Amino acid sequence: MLLRRVLAGETRVYAQLVDRYRGRLGRYALRMLGNRDDAEDALQDSFIRAYRSLARCEGPHGFGPWIFGILVNRCRTHAAKRARTQGIMVRDDVALAAASVAPSESRDGLRDAIARALEQLPVEQREAFLLKHVEDLSYEVMERVTGVRPATLRMRVFRARDELRKLLAETVRD
Amino acid sequence: MTEQDDSLEPIIEILREPAVLRADLTDRVMSEIERLPLPGPAAPNPVRWWRRGWTIRLTPLRGLGLAAGLAALLFAVRLGGRPRVGPVVPLGARAMTQFVLIAPTATSVTVVGDFNDWSMSATPLERAGGVWSVAVPLGPGRYRYAFVVNGAIWQRDPEAPAADDEFGRANSVVTVGGT
Repeated sequence: MLLRRVLAGETRVYAQLVDRYRGRLGRYALRMLGNRDDAEDALQDSFIRAYRSLARCEGPHGFGPWIFGILVNRCRTHAAKRARTQGIMVRDDVALAAASVAPSESRDGLRDAIARALEQLPVEQREAFLLKHVEDLSYEVMERVTGVRPATLRMRVFRARDELRKLLAETVRD
Repeated sequence: MTEQDDSLEPIIEILREPAVLRADLTDRVMSEIERLPLPGPAAPNPVRWWRRGWTIRLTPLRGLGLAAGLAALLFAVRLGGRPRVGPVVPLGARAMTQFVLIAPTATSVTVVGDFNDWSMSATPLERAGGVWSVAVPLGPGRYRYAFVVNGAIWQRDPEAPAADDEFGRANSVVTVGGT
């Protein structure tokens, strides 16, 4: 187990844990916060916080859900801070970051529309939607990650889907 | 309330595309944590309790009795405490394990699992018609795995036993070496 090796003093092994989870966690942070700088700050901060309290991660559920919980909290903090200071989402960053994956003009337009729609969702709905449908987490794991009861999470996912459907109705039809 | 409605599927597919992050993120994390103290736990109280000094007073007769009892206990543990050992497999022996997925419309398929640290780029499958496959050398053991189709869609192997991963997501399991 990589975790045990890090706790035994092999600090460099932590890089393997970062490499294993950075893609998935980074995608969540980017979709949640809407710009790459904030997403990378939240991600880096989460990995460092996780390292500091790594000894507390010796439960049966593993490193993945545990650090996901830390990242969810960091994203909430970033989102709240930004809402206080500016209320702006740099949508172009999302399109730019995704552009190298599939350089299609219409697809870029769709990405931009999706980012704008996500931005309009309340933070807790955006969070629940991304965890359920993009990260494919079960409601049981979502409860561990967010600290929110499954019934509440189901309601948030439902409302987010409903809202996104309305916001993106024309875009998807096109 | 339903989650079966698939009108959002094209949107979800786009949101599942990999995020492009700076390549040096891991290095930046590592340079920060190398300045931090090791994350070991503080010594728990029972350890301190155990390590404090002890004084046991015994008469010679009781001392002999205690020593005999300890010897008998050690003997019993040696007889009955042997761990169970599975089939002996030569160290380093690896079996070529074939991963196959039928996906005629896919543009790319990779396999991720315990054997490649769940890397989405380490083990791509090759296409022959609508069939994708790759052979991976695996040592004896039990491995969880899944296919990633078109870089975004996580799919378990329909032909193999299922097992959830740490996020509650459906994966498959392959056991090598009959363990």
